[in-house]
Amino acid sequence: MKKFQITVNGKSYEVEVEEIGGGSAPAARPAAAPAPAQAAPAPAAPKAAAPAPAGASVVTAPMPGKILSIKAKVGQQVNDGDMLLTLEAMKMENEIFAESAGTVKEIRVSEGSTVDSDEVLVVIG
Amino acid sequence: MSTREKIDDLFERSKKIETGGGQKAVEKQHQKGKLTARERIGRLLDPDSFTEIDKFVTHRCVNFDMAGKEAPGEGVITGYGTIEGRLVYVFAQDFTVLGGSLGEMHAQKICKVLDMAMQMGAPCIGLNDSGGARIQEAVDALSGYGKIFYRNTLASGVIPQISVILGPSAGGAVYSPAITDYVFMVKNISQMFITGPQVIKAVTGEEVTSEKLGGAMTHNRVSGVAHFAAEDEEDCFGQIRKLMSFLPSNNLEEAPYLETGDSPERMDEALNEIIPDNPNAGYEMVEVIRKVVDNGEFFQTMSLYAANIMTGYARLNGRVIGIIANNPKFMAGCLDINASDKAARHIRFCDAFNIPIVNFVDVPGYLPGTTQEFGGIIRHGAKLLYAYSEATVPKITIVTRKAYGGSYLAMCSRDLGADQVFAWPTAEIAVMGADGAANIIFRKEIEGADDPVAKRAEMIEEYKERFATPYVAAERGFVDIVIEPQETRPRLANALEMLATKRETRPAKKHGNIPL
Repeated sequence: MKKFQITVNGKSYEVEVEEIGGGSAPAARPAAAPAPAQAAPAPAAPKAAAPAPAGASVVTAPMPGKILSIKAKVGQQVNDGDMLLTLEAMKMENEIFAESAGTVKEIRVSEGSTVDSDEVLVVIG
Repeated sequence: MSTREKIDDLFERSKKIETGGGQKAVEKQHQKGKLTARERIGRLLDPDSFTEIDKFVTHRCVNFDMAGKEAPGEGVITGYGTIEGRLVYVFAQDFTVLGGSLGEMHAQKICKVLDMAMQMGAPCIGLNDSGGARIQEAVDALSGYGKIFYRNTLASGVIPQISVILGPSAGGAVYSPAITDYVFMVKNISQMFITGPQVIKAVTGEEVTSEKLGGAMTHNRVSGVAHFAAEDEEDCFGQIRKLMSFLPSNNLEEAPYLETGDSPERMDEALNEIIPDNPNAGYEMVEVIRKVVDNGEFFQTMSLYAANIMTGYARLNGRVIGIIANNPKFMAGCLDINASDKAARHIRFCDAFNIPIVNFVDVPGYLPGTTQEFGGIIRHGAKLLYAYSEATVPKITIVTRKAYGGSYLAMCSRDLGADQVFAWPTAEIAVMGADGAANIIFRKEIEGADDPVAKRAEMIEEYKERFATPYVAAERGFVDIVIEPQETRPRLANALEMLATKRETRPAKKHGNIPL
């Protein structure tokens, strides 16, 4: 049994956590180990192969940061200059706009996800 | 031949040259949505102001098929005229004559106008529309390019040089425009590249269209080679005339004063409302500028490139000013490689041509990341510091909001030689953001506290109150005065008036070594 003090929105909570099944459960390990190994290359692969399907245009991150909110929805019609999402970077809320008119085909990020510069955020076709 | 016949002969010869490559070639040019060289000069300059020189010049090449081949005007029309009554020199390559190709004598004509422009101290505008070097003339053609580059360089900083790309421009032909001050391109008509799509395909296998490779939008948006993009030729000439209205004719003159009818005392209350209460929200810096300058007229250069910094010209109380402004609406207004490059170039142009520089600052910092570091942000960012420090024209800085760390210094701080620094009460001039700073300065207090999180928040707030303001900088004199935002225009007008006689000398040297 371990005790933790967790603060949520400035309020402190005392929490007790109990580990079940002992320290070295053999079943857990093999399941856990391959998961990260597979997960790691996964985000890299689409990034490299990313640039959109033919005929579609992509909106990329102008700088590294975190997705604060997503306004666009898949299937939505957008015009050149419509706001698609907000990217927090350098402590600023940066509005990201569509650079062409069309339908939102894909949104490759979710709220809270971090992105690199030039990473594809939205595909518009 | 009688005298009368000789005069008629002159008319005949003259007329023949004026038809360029002939009716068919002219039609072909028009079909491509392009004007002929003579039509272009007519639209660019004041009506009937053009005087042609070197009309009868012709090539002297006898290699291959060139012997006896006629090239009316040698494929380029040169001369001088006026824009809004002010003298400018012009050359216009004629695509209808041997594809506007550049040979020895073609280049000699261009060199002559460049030499004259320098001697008379008037801008030179080149209308480029050429297939490239005239291959039959071999090294003579290459030499022609070299002579033009050399003159472009000598004229740099002496007279404004403007290049207008109105057709293909490949290989050596792109470097003369690149040396000049401003490059204009027209959508779907202009292309610039070192090697064209066919060569690229043959060498690397990469397939690309010429418009994507080197079209107007590519060079205005992506590469930063061009400074202006026009919808069509008419639009392009309009933009050139507009730009010219802000530029002096040479480095010894002042930019043209214009009665604008906008009172220097005018205040705009909206400026007091423009900064959002949320310090992380963006706002339109371009609106701030429009509310401050004469009649809201802000003429941007490179408006499509590195939009995190805005550069351009405006008038204040009739006097031309060069503007550099961070744009918090794009990439948080941070400084990166491209923004540094763009701004440094604008600063150096303004300094070379006696145009006072006004800076609107809201900058969170230099952009972090491997892309920037690997790309050499250190040396590119240094260009900005160098250009501001080097400039001896009046320099005025207005800090509207953020000015943090190195980027505070880089945006024409007092220490880089700003003559006047104004700050709005919303300014945050500090070495770093409150969150980071509090973590470092109050590390012990935070760790030792019963409730570190609450303590941290408290310390951040304390730091913000004490340091994320304009007053610490003002206490040291780094900020001359903290002003109400709506006062910005009268304050600026007053400062520019006061600085009009500024003289600043520097140690004699051949030239500095800007970190290129």
